[in-house]
Amino acid sequence: MSEIRYIKAVNQALADAMEADPTVFLIGEDIGAAGGSFKATRGLLDRFGPGRVYDSPISEAAITGMAVGAALTGMRPVVEIMFMDFTTLSMDMLVNQAAKARSMFGGQGSVPMVLRTPHGGGLNAGPQHSQCLEAWFAHVPGLKVVCPSGPADAYGLLRAAIDDPDPVIVVENKALYAMKGDLPDAPRDRERIEIGKGRIVRAGRDATVVAYGAAVAMAQTAAAILADDGIEVEVIDLRSVQPWDEALVLESLTRTHNLVIAHEAVEAFGVGAEIAARMADIGFDELDGPILRVGAPFAPSPFGKTLEDAYRPNADRIVAAIRRTLA
Amino acid sequence: MTDLVMPKLGLTMTEGLLTEWHVAPGAAFREGDVLFTVETEKVASDVEAQADGVLAEILVPEGETVAVGRPVARLVGGAGAGEAAPRTLPAGIPETPPAQAHTPEPGGGAHEVARLAPRLRATPLARRIAAQQGVDLRALSGSGPRGRIKARDVARAAQAPAPAPDMRAAAGAPDAPMPAATRIALDPVRLAVARRVSAAKRDIPHFHVTHEAEVSALMALRAELNADAPPALRISVTHMLIRALGLALSARPAMNRIWAGDHILALCEANVGMVTQTPDGLRVPVIRDAGRAPLDEIAAQARALAERARSGALGPGDVGDGVIAVSNLGMMGVSSLTPIINPPNAMILGVGAERQLFRPDAGGAPALRRELMLTLACDHRIIDGADAARFLAELVAILETPLRLLRPARRAGAPSAGD
Repeated sequence: MSEIRYIKAVNQALADAMEADPTVFLIGEDIGAAGGSFKATRGLLDRFGPGRVYDSPISEAAITGMAVGAALTGMRPVVEIMFMDFTTLSMDMLVNQAAKARSMFGGQGSVPMVLRTPHGGGLNAGPQHSQCLEAWFAHVPGLKVVCPSGPADAYGLLRAAIDDPDPVIVVENKALYAMKGDLPDAPRDRERIEIGKGRIVRAGRDATVVAYGAAVAMAQTAAAILADDGIEVEVIDLRSVQPWDEALVLESLTRTHNLVIAHEAVEAFGVGAEIAARMADIGFDELDGPILRVGAPFAPSPFGKTLEDAYRPNADRIVAAIRRTLA
Repeated sequence: MTDLVMPKLGLTMTEGLLTEWHVAPGAAFREGDVLFTVETEKVASDVEAQADGVLAEILVPEGETVAVGRPVARLVGGAGAGEAAPRTLPAGIPETPPAQAHTPEPGGGAHEVARLAPRLRATPLARRIAAQQGVDLRALSGSGPRGRIKARDVARAAQAPAPAPDMRAAAGAPDAPMPAATRIALDPVRLAVARRVSAAKRDIPHFHVTHEAEVSALMALRAELNADAPPALRISVTHMLIRALGLALSARPAMNRIWAGDHILALCEANVGMVTQTPDGLRVPVIRDAGRAPLDEIAAQARALAERARSGALGPGDVGDGVIAVSNLGMMGVSSLTPIINPPNAMILGVGAERQLFRPDAGGAPALRRELMLTLACDHRIIDGADAARFLAELVAILETPLRLLRPARRAGAPSAGD
């Protein structure tokens, strides 16, 4: 077992997948010689050659369109979009082609592609390089969306996404790229993580916090703060946003009767809204307080550090939400 | 537009159950028309319009309990309507001002209705647990924001009176059929009684003192008084007990007081309640001024009140303002009865059946006696044990020398035989 960083776990997953399956190839801006803007593909060009690691023109629509076509003809492309903000340019290919192919071809074709892209702030990258747009994709039938919260999940979810017969958006939080965690040394010991399943990362009886990505660590900090007051918070790492582990959240709610959903994305019309609405429906009789969301305010992400710190959700805001629902 | 408010119909009335509307929304009414019926302190009262008007909108539906002074409907015209004239109180008694009849309109509009209507706030989990465990949410006060009832409030309430074990087992599986029992929906009267006695038993620190009374002389006097009276005018033991309590209260004005939360009310008249079984449950009509009224008048009052109680015709003036009630189950043969105080009373006297038994006389020889067992339940917030013992001894002394029942009351504060 070695301690590696999140970005290295991504790199390892790509290498292992390419080693295991010759149809896997990579395409994106500056991913070859430069090794990617965040170095997720470092060393892969040398190892697998230019036939499997393509530096593309600066056109997200073209990159994604090529990947959809390659996937439809039997390849397993892994696209890197440098910032999630730029996936807006990939939307037609993803929403109208990749997501629809299986249904429109009567199940006779599928699009086994992966699109990796970093979201999130904390790097003072401003309104066009910090957005969390995962809810856009989660809203489209035919697309899957995962959001790993640490190195082991980054590895396991990316491997599962590459294996998956349908298009999967892998959303990596760029503030987590330097995060360290354990990954087994032997390739056969590195496990895939089933898409659609969440995980209880901290057990508790008083309230449930559902989070994914960077918000998982915030929720764990919040749980530690409240533990000093004798409040036991259960933290669920959703891991997959679409499909999401409704059964796990409901099961937790039936024990704690209070629910907070935390994510870095803007609160309005977000993933939290969907979870809250479902639990207000199927979990109605379990609720002993309002379902609350913690997310960014309805505003573009600011550049400056002071403003961005105020904009991003944090553990204190999760603590406040839990106290409010328990009041 | 004016607000029609829940009137204050008794000394310590804080809320009322609105059982029935007699005027439909939009309908006009005339002065004196009955607008709605309020159930409180074990009595139903009709609230009459004090002027002509139109009922614009009902804010509180039938079956809801609301605090005194809260708007229950909005009126067009009809200034002063809704002020059900409260009973005139004896002078010198501290009293909160009577209900304000027309509160200024706080802004108007449809949103006001939602704000004013007293909606029960409880979480879904609290409602589910309450339904399973048979807890009445309306009897609880919520600890959450805006008074919201949470699961912990229901759990606390459910712990207090533990249901029978088999019922609890059934509560675990709400959909399972219960072969040996039927669910009976609560009617408002039973609900009101249940809330009242629960609150009384929970909130009043009861203690009890017991004393037997030798009643040979009392029974002999009663037989003499009734010898020439037609059956309809006969004096009963209860009548004599009421008269005796009136005398004892007049002799000890310090006992003629009730606890009113943030102050004590000292009553000037010795009013004595009489627990009466009716088809609609227990009623406690009050005999007025039992310290001064002659026995015949007390008997007449008691008979009329009992009749009105049984026919459901008690008015607001027939109940309330007493410190004590008599609950006599002697005719059922019970030896003694330890009753629950009827709020806002400070005491209640439980009376058992007359028993014949031998007691040693002065020389140690058996003497035949006829005794009643009297149990006085007292509110310890206002009465101490020695006070209760002296009061009960005074009552027994009056009953054992019953000619005193025929004498006018002494003036309050005069020394009495029991001291």
